[in-house]
Parts: sequence; C-alpha cells; structure tokens
Amino acid sequence: MEACVPALRRYAGALLRDRQEIDDLVHDCLVRALDRLHTRRDDAEMRPWLFTIMHNLYVSRIRQKRTVGQPESLDDVAESALAVDAVQDQRVRMKDVIRAVEQLPEDLRSVLLLVTVEELSYANVARVLDIPIGTVMSRLSRARERLRHGS
Amino acid sequence: MSGVTPSINDDDLHAYVDGQLEPSRRPAVERYLAATPEAAERAAAYHAQREMIRAAFAAKATEPLPPSLSLARIIGQRNRRQQGTWLFAASVLLALGIGLGGGWVLHTAATPGRTQQAMAYLEQEALTSHVVYAVDRRHPVEVVSAETAHLQQWLSNRLDRTVVAPDLSALGYHLIGGRLLATEHGGAAALLMYDDASHQRISVLLRPMAAALQAPDAVIQQDGVNGRAWIRSGLGVAVVATLPPDDIARLATRIGADLGTAG
Repeated sequence: MEACVPALRRYAGALLRDRQEIDDLVHDCLVRALDRLHTRRDDAEMRPWLFTIMHNLYVSRIRQKRTVGQPESLDDVAESALAVDAVQDQRVRMKDVIRAVEQLPEDLRSVLLLVTVEELSYANVARVLDIPIGTVMSRLSRARERLRHGS
Repeated sequence: MSGVTPSINDDDLHAYVDGQLEPSRRPAVERYLAATPEAAERAAAYHAQREMIRAAFAAKATEPLPPSLSLARIIGQRNRRQQGTWLFAASVLLALGIGLGGGWVLHTAATPGRTQQAMAYLEQEALTSHVVYAVDRRHPVEVVSAETAHLQQWLSNRLDRTVVAPDLSALGYHLIGGRLLATEHGGAAALLMYDDASHQRISVLLRPMAAALQAPDAVIQQDGVNGRAWIRSGLGVAVVATLPPDDIARLATRIGADLGTAG
C-alpha cells in the first residue's frame, strides 16, 4: 500500500489544483483504505483498488462543491494551450505537456492518466471510474486526439 | 498471410500503443498499420504522446511526501484514536469475524507468488509496527511483561495458537510487553517488544500463516532499520530494530530456536 502513495498523489495532483486539497484527498483515501482492508478480496490488485477509493472520494467532493454553488468549469480552456508543440528546451516541453494534460476536461484527463501514466488495464480503468469499457476507449481516443490537434 | 483480414478499429490502435493488445491480434494490427499510412501515423503520434506524458509525469511521483501522508503515521493516529483498551481491538476483530482463524493466508495454497506476497506483507507490517510503536516511550505495548502469563494467554487465544515470548535475556534484551495488531488482509498478529539497558528496542512480530507456506530467513532493510523475517511451521516471524545486521542475525537465531521455527 505504501508503495502506491506517490502514484496516488500524482493522480490526485491531476484532479485538483490546490496542494492542500491534493494531500487531503490522498490522506482520506489512505484512511478509508485502512478502514476497508478487511473487505478487500485477497486476490484483488492493490493499485486499482486504491484508485477506486480515491476516485469515489473525489467524485463525492465535487458533488458537495457543486451543491454549494461552485460549479467546476472544465471546458472553458484556451484551446491553443492544448497543442503539444515541439519546443527546443526539454523542461519547457515537459511543462507544456503537463499543462496540456491538465487542461483537458476531467473525464478525459482521468482516463488518459490512468492508462498511460498509472498503467492500469482498460478493464481496471473502467472499474476505477465506474464506467463501461467502451466509454474508457472513447474518452481515451478523444483525449489523444485533443492533445494531438490542440483542439 | 491469412485470407481473412479481421477488421481493425480505433480501439486496436490504442491497445497497440498501450501494450494492451492481445498477442494473437498483434500481427493483424501490424499488417494493417503497414498498409494504412494514416493509421500508422496516428499510432506513431499516440506513441510519442504517451512517452512524453509518461516522462513528464514520472517526476511527479518522486516528489517527497509530506509527513501527513506517511502510512506509519496514519496507522499510528488510527491506533491512538481507537486505543481505549486492547479489548476494544480484540472485540472489533471478533465482530468482523476475523482474527481467530489466523488470517488470509490460512486457506490459500502455497505457490511461490503467495509465499513472496506473504513475506512482503510480513516485512512491511513488522517495519510499520516498529516505526509506530518502538518510538512511543510511554505506550509501546498494551500488556506489560509483568503480566507475562496473561500476555501469552491472551495472544495465544487471539492467534489461535500457543504464543510463548522468546527469551532474549542471554543477548541482553528483556521483554517490555506486547500488543495485538490488526494487520492488513484481515489477520491478527502479535507484536512483542524488548529493550536492553540502553533502551534499544526490538520488535518481534508473530503472525499465523498457512501451514503450507515456508520461507527461509530474508533480510529486511529500510531507512536504517534492519531485520529478518521467515515463515515456518505455520508462523510468520519478523524481528526488526535499529541494530547492525549481525546483531539482528543473532537475535533471529535465538528467536527461531525459542519458537521452534528455526531452520
């Protein structure tokens, strides 16, 4: 479980902006995971299980926020920022990649990062996000096309 | 080349890029890519994009973690919150229907993977417990050694096997006491704590394991804490302390002999 914490934090960092909120989310995820360890099947993989707990916590937080009147606007992003250009400086490029990914709508971003960075199988991504596998594939496709064309 | 070309779709391209394509489908996809420049270009672009994203986000998992996310600390906070008495912990285990059976490994077959996993859990639990409890000057244990008989009876009941605290006095270490641990994966474990004249503390973790599981001594090493762990005769044993590996080896030999789990 301990070995998964950096990856959880990285993924939380892609969901939320505020540092404190990121660490709070991971912290709550670990606490809940410890509470539920006894319900976990022996053969269940640890990583997808933890990501599922964290995703559920994240979703309920977003809902809470919405009910107090703070709708998240994920789509009003400057589209030009999504283009991944070949810039000379590697570090600038890395930053651009992160920024472009962060500016994707949340539903596309989650799928893209769980697949590419966290290396979960498509089936596990579907489980974590509680969506059909067909939706995983279409979101993955849309995320990649957006990054590719910057639109 | 087979006569029938299975239809290749967008999902196959992604699976190809992500290494999630079924091996049997791979040749067909590769033929398709060779024959379809547009798809090949797209696959190449996705691949490059994937590598860029992975490289960019790799660094994000190496950032130092804040103390609030230390698992040892979170477990420590939970234990303090739940402290009350050890009876509470025991009653929770009973309420959950676990603990008496001796844990998740009890009914599983002993494959190399299982043994490895059991050892990994054993080592991690020993390290985490040691980090949490050995530094606690006031409450390192729940039942003190003055009540050794009670301690041994209690732990024996909880672990469903006779637990006799190893005698380490020949090596200069004396039993402080013990506590019951609710471990990961639903089993109960006993933690025995010893110290010497200089208050150097040793943690000994005992955890029932499937009778079929066997693992020879393995060396544990993490952040200055050394230890050894092994599984024999249905018992997982781990000893950890901030001591040189040689001292740990001597302690491990003594503990193994006392518990009747020596190799």
